[in-house]
Amino acid sequence: MKPIVHRLVAVLLALGLCVYSLQASAAEKSFAETKVVLQISDNDPFKQTLVLNVANNLIKHYGPDQVDIEIVAFGPGLRLLFAENVNAGRIQSLVDNGVRFAACNNTVRGMSKILGEEPALNQNAVRVSAGVVRIMDLSKEGYQLIKP
Amino acid sequence: MKTKFKKVVLAAASATLLGAVANTVQAANWLMLQGTEPAGAGKRAHVWGFIQAQYQKDDSKANATDGYVPPKLIAPNLDDQSQFNVNRARIGVRGTALPLDSNVNYFILTEFGNNGITYPEDNTHLTDASITLNHIKGARVRMGLFKYPGAEEGLQAIHVFDYVNFTSVTNQLLLERFQQAGNQATQTGDFNQPATPSPNADMNQYTRSVGAFRDVGIQVFDTFKATDWEHSYALMYGNGNGLNFGDNDDNKDVYLYWSSERVFGGKGPRREGWKTFAWYEDGKRTNPNDPTQEQDRTRYGIGTKYLKKPFRLTAEYMKGEGMIFMGQHRPLHQFNNKEAEGWYLEGGWYIPGTKWELDLRYDTYTRDENFVAPIPPTATPSAPGDETEFNTITVGTQYHFNKKTRLNLEYASRDNKSDTAAVEAQQKGVEGRFAIQVTAIF
Repeated sequence: MKPIVHRLVAVLLALGLCVYSLQASAAEKSFAETKVVLQISDNDPFKQTLVLNVANNLIKHYGPDQVDIEIVAFGPGLRLLFAENVNAGRIQSLVDNGVRFAACNNTVRGMSKILGEEPALNQNAVRVSAGVVRIMDLSKEGYQLIKP
Repeated sequence: MKTKFKKVVLAAASATLLGAVANTVQAANWLMLQGTEPAGAGKRAHVWGFIQAQYQKDDSKANATDGYVPPKLIAPNLDDQSQFNVNRARIGVRGTALPLDSNVNYFILTEFGNNGITYPEDNTHLTDASITLNHIKGARVRMGLFKYPGAEEGLQAIHVFDYVNFTSVTNQLLLERFQQAGNQATQTGDFNQPATPSPNADMNQYTRSVGAFRDVGIQVFDTFKATDWEHSYALMYGNGNGLNFGDNDDNKDVYLYWSSERVFGGKGPRREGWKTFAWYEDGKRTNPNDPTQEQDRTRYGIGTKYLKKPFRLTAEYMKGEGMIFMGQHRPLHQFNNKEAEGWYLEGGWYIPGTKWELDLRYDTYTRDENFVAPIPPTATPSAPGDETEFNTITVGTQYHFNKKTRLNLEYASRDNKSDTAAVEAQQKGVEGRFAIQVTAIF
């Protein structure tokens, strides 16, 4: 029984750290006038390109310091944040401009069951307990939800 | 065997040397484009295909007895000098069956058009059916029916080919024809045919599909990136029996390929860059008319391709020994140990600010070098010194309606000649050939 409790505590701690990490990153941009949360939950590879394009265009328009962007991936859209994803270079470039990436842990668990092992995630992806909850929380904080 | 090994080493060394010398390098990476899907972004089932509709007119003249040979007629039917044709109509599906697992992808494509693949056998033919396993870094494995690694003109995706017709060297030396057992006397199976009056000549005497630069087998390959450079390799082991799923003898073909390229930018089949490459293939063929006879078939070559709009430049040199194609009307001559070689140089200019592109190509091919007596049965044995040369200058233009649809217009000026009087008499009247073609990709 103890190992399960230990694991649970470890997972909760990890998620807590992740959320703290996202909040800390968001706090760095708390003075940004425009706050946007982008949702990627689609399996279509074109949507992956599209959501990255939108983030890039927002940065170009407002400037990296004037817009706060978080991309939340869940469901089939989580593939964007797989470590092997061909868009890893673009993701890194956006991270360098202050964009944050959140990965739904519920989806990671579901995919792990299908694959038989946990998918390796992009090192820039920060896990959140549930992608939808993360979007709702950000919405309450004044973020505008855009689903390209 | 030692000689073959030397050729392999030379081919690899040439590629490495060319890659090292080049300051800037390549175009599309066909190994990756055709054999893999984008990691983490592949579709479960991506339906795609293309249609090519064309008209061709040949201005060649008949021989002294009003006879015509294949170079004077429009392929694949070879029974007239002008023809509308839907030469390619392909539809296929490719993707990552389980999108969560990029380690496995597949590719299947079927040909419904009228060409050397479908004309001899039936109206439909599967051209590709392969599975790629990407589990081992540096050694992806592809199995099934697919394009073998080789010359750029054969390996490239045909729907982005910048001309309507292949060069003579690719058409004759690399596009393999497969013989069936034939009887000249009873004219059954594959048999030779003398020049025939047109129309209704039907000079196509092969009853099996062309190889279409494909084979069934297993390939290990990968690409390694280093800053702007990409280095690719491929090793393949296959049946050496073209599009047929099974093998017709115990012999297998070996294919080796290396390319080094500097990528300038873009992606897909028209990615900009400068690529140099070398390749080698070797196998044996069994004589369908006498299964006790076997013949080595070897091909090798080097080449380079530069693409940075508005300019494109490609050059390839190829050489072959054994199983040298002697004409679509002379299948029984194909089982031979002759030699042949050829090369081409082509360039394109994308007229800035327009949708037009100008293309110019020179190709030359010399068949039957270093004469060796043909292996029977042959209807009309060659004579010593029987070298035939095919020289073509092709002037073309392309109009790109959009990224997926374009028009090709081209005129090929041909000058063929032979040391043998009988062949020379047939080739003498070979003249220009006009072609117009529309390609739509979906």
